[in-house]
Amino acid sequence: MGPERNSNIFAISIMSKDRIGIIASISKKIVEIGGDIADIRQSVLCGYFTMILLVAFPHATKKEEIESKLSSVNNLYEEPLLISVKQVDVKINDSAVVPVEHNYVLTVTGRDQIGFVASITCFCAENGINILDLSTTRKNELYIMILFVDISHSEGINKLRDSLTNLQNETGFEIVLQHYNIFQAVNEINLPLI
Amino acid sequence: MIRPNEFLETVDMIQKEKLDVRTVTMGINLLDCHRETVSETCQAIKEKIKHQAADLVNVCNQVGSEYSIQVVNKRIAVTPIANVGAGFTKEGFIEIARALDDAISEIGIDLLGGFSADVAGGSSFSDLELIASIPEALTQTKRVCSSVNVGSSKHGINLDAVNLLGRTIKELSEKSKENSGFAAAKFVVFTNQPGNNPFMAGAIHGNDQPEIVINVGVSGPGVIARALERKINQNPHMTLNELAEVIKHTAFRVTRCGELIGREVARKLSIPFGVVDLSLAPTPEAGDSVGEILQILGVDDVGAPGTTAALALLNDAVKKGGVFASQSVGGLSGAFIPVCEDKVLADAVKKGALTIEKLEAMTSVCSVGLDMIPIPGSVDANTISAIIADEMAIGMINSKTTAVRVIPVPGKDAGDFVAFGGLFGESVIMAIHNIGKSSRFASFGGKIPAPIFSLKN
Repeated sequence: MGPERNSNIFAISIMSKDRIGIIASISKKIVEIGGDIADIRQSVLCGYFTMILLVAFPHATKKEEIESKLSSVNNLYEEPLLISVKQVDVKINDSAVVPVEHNYVLTVTGRDQIGFVASITCFCAENGINILDLSTTRKNELYIMILFVDISHSEGINKLRDSLTNLQNETGFEIVLQHYNIFQAVNEINLPLI
Repeated sequence: MIRPNEFLETVDMIQKEKLDVRTVTMGINLLDCHRETVSETCQAIKEKIKHQAADLVNVCNQVGSEYSIQVVNKRIAVTPIANVGAGFTKEGFIEIARALDDAISEIGIDLLGGFSADVAGGSSFSDLELIASIPEALTQTKRVCSSVNVGSSKHGINLDAVNLLGRTIKELSEKSKENSGFAAAKFVVFTNQPGNNPFMAGAIHGNDQPEIVINVGVSGPGVIARALERKINQNPHMTLNELAEVIKHTAFRVTRCGELIGREVARKLSIPFGVVDLSLAPTPEAGDSVGEILQILGVDDVGAPGTTAALALLNDAVKKGGVFASQSVGGLSGAFIPVCEDKVLADAVKKGALTIEKLEAMTSVCSVGLDMIPIPGSVDANTISAIIADEMAIGMINSKTTAVRVIPVPGKDAGDFVAFGGLFGESVIMAIHNIGKSSRFASFGGKIPAPIFSLKN
C-alpha cells in the first residue's frame, strides 16, 4: 500500500539540460522516501529537459526532506538540476474524466514575433477560454500554436468565432477553432462516442 | 494525445481542402399517407413531411456551425410514390408531386427524391401512371426529383420500360426547353437502385428501410486531390499502390467527418442513423473534381488510355478507407463522374478527349453511371433508350448500381455550350455517335432476362 492518496501532495518541478537518466534518478529518490507518483508531464524543448510531477508522500513527510533527498542526485551531475518543491491542495483522481462537449482545438499560425503567445493567451483569458494543453511547433518560416481549450465559460461558440475573426483581422494570424471530436474522429481508430 | 502534424493536417483538410458534408438526407416512409382520395393523400403527405423534417435544416446548420464543417444540402428521400399513390391516375400523381414540392419549400429543404417506381420485374398500373406523370410533375415543380429502377441482377432489364423512359426523357427536355431541357436533370434511370442513397436525383426511401432515418453523403474530391499532390511532391517516385494507400487513408478521414456530423444530426433529431455513402461527389467549383484526381494519377486528359484503370484504383481505395471508418456504409458508395458537375470532366469533353463511349467504360468500375451528360436535342427517343439499355446491362451483369441521367438540350448540337447553374454546372454538349441505328433493337421490347451468376468470365 502506498501513502494515503489526497493527503500530503507535492508538486515537484525539475529543469535541466537534457541527458540520459534524469527521470530514473529522481523517481528512485522519490521511492526511497515512500512517495507515490500520481501524475507526470515531461517534455524536452529544444534540448532542454522539463518535468512536473504530482507526488503523494507519507503523512509526516516535510518539504525540506523532499528537497534535500532530491538534491542529492546533483552529486552525480556536473550541471545541477533546478528543483522546486511545493505542497499543493489538489485532488488526485483515479481517472481524469474530461467532458468533451466544450473541448475545442485552437490553431494559430503566423510569422514568429515577440508577443505571439501573449496576444493569443490574453485573448483566451479575456474570452473565458481555459487552456488545457498548449504546444508550439515550427513549419517553414511560420510559428504554430496548438491549444487544447475548454470553452464552457465563454459566451458561446458563435460569438467566439466572431471574436476570433476580429482577432485574425487585427493580427494577421491564421486562426482556426475546431471541435476536438473532429480531431479524434479523423486521427484515431475509435470514433468518439456522442 | 494527437501529434501536432496530425492537428495541422486535420485543420488543412477542413479549411483549405474544401471538406464538407455534401448532403444530410432524411428518409421518410410515406406508405401510411395513402388515403381514399388524392387530395386527402396530398394533405397527409404534407403533414407528415413537415412534421418529421421541420427541424432538419436548423439542426444541420447548428451542427455545421459547432463543428465548422458545412452541411451543403439538406434533403429528403421518400417511399417511391408509385406505391404511396397506388390506384391513382396520372393527374393524381402530378398533384402529389406538387404537394411534395410545397411541403419541402415551406421547411427550406433543397431537394426531395422519391417520385419513383421500381419496374425491374414488370410495371403495375400505378407504375405506368406515375411514369406518364413525370414530364408534367417535374416541370410543374422545382425541387422534386424522380427516378425509375428498370433493371436488377435478379430480374433482368425491363426493356419496355426503358423504351417508355427514352420518350419520357425527350418529353422532359421539350417541356423545359426554355431552361435548356433542365427538367431532364431531375430524372434518372437505374439498375440495382439502392433504397438508402442520399444523393440526388436518385434518392429514395426504400421499402426495406426504417420508418425514418438519417443518411449522409460525404464529399471530398478536393481533399483526396490535395493529399495526393502533397505526397507526390514529397516523393515523385511513389508507385500506384502507395498512392492507393494515400487515397485510402484520406477517405478514412473524410468518411469519419461525415459519420460524426451525421450521427450528431441524428442524435439531435432523435432519429436513427442509417448509412454513410462513401461516394466522391464533385462540384463545378475548381479544386473539387474527380477528373482532377485522375489527372494527378497521371492521365493528362481524362478519357485518355489509363483513365479507366486509374478510376478503378481510386474507387476501390475510397471504399477500403471508408468502410473501416464508418459503422454502416451504404447507398452508392463510389466515385461519381457527372460531366456537367465536374469542371475537369467538362473540360475534357470540350477538348474532345472524353467521349460517351469512354464514360460508359469508366462506369463499369465506378458508381454510378452516365451522369449529367448534355446531349444534342435532336437525338431520338430510341437512341436514348438504347444508351440506357447499354448502361443498365453493365449494372445487371456486374451486380452493381448503374444509372443514366442524360439531358437532351433542345435546339443545340454537339460542341455547343450549355449551363444549368449552381451545383448542376455546365458543359459542352457531348457528341452521340450512330444516332438512329438502334431502333430495331429497341422495338423488340420485352425483357432482357436476368443473368446467370456462375461460369463467370
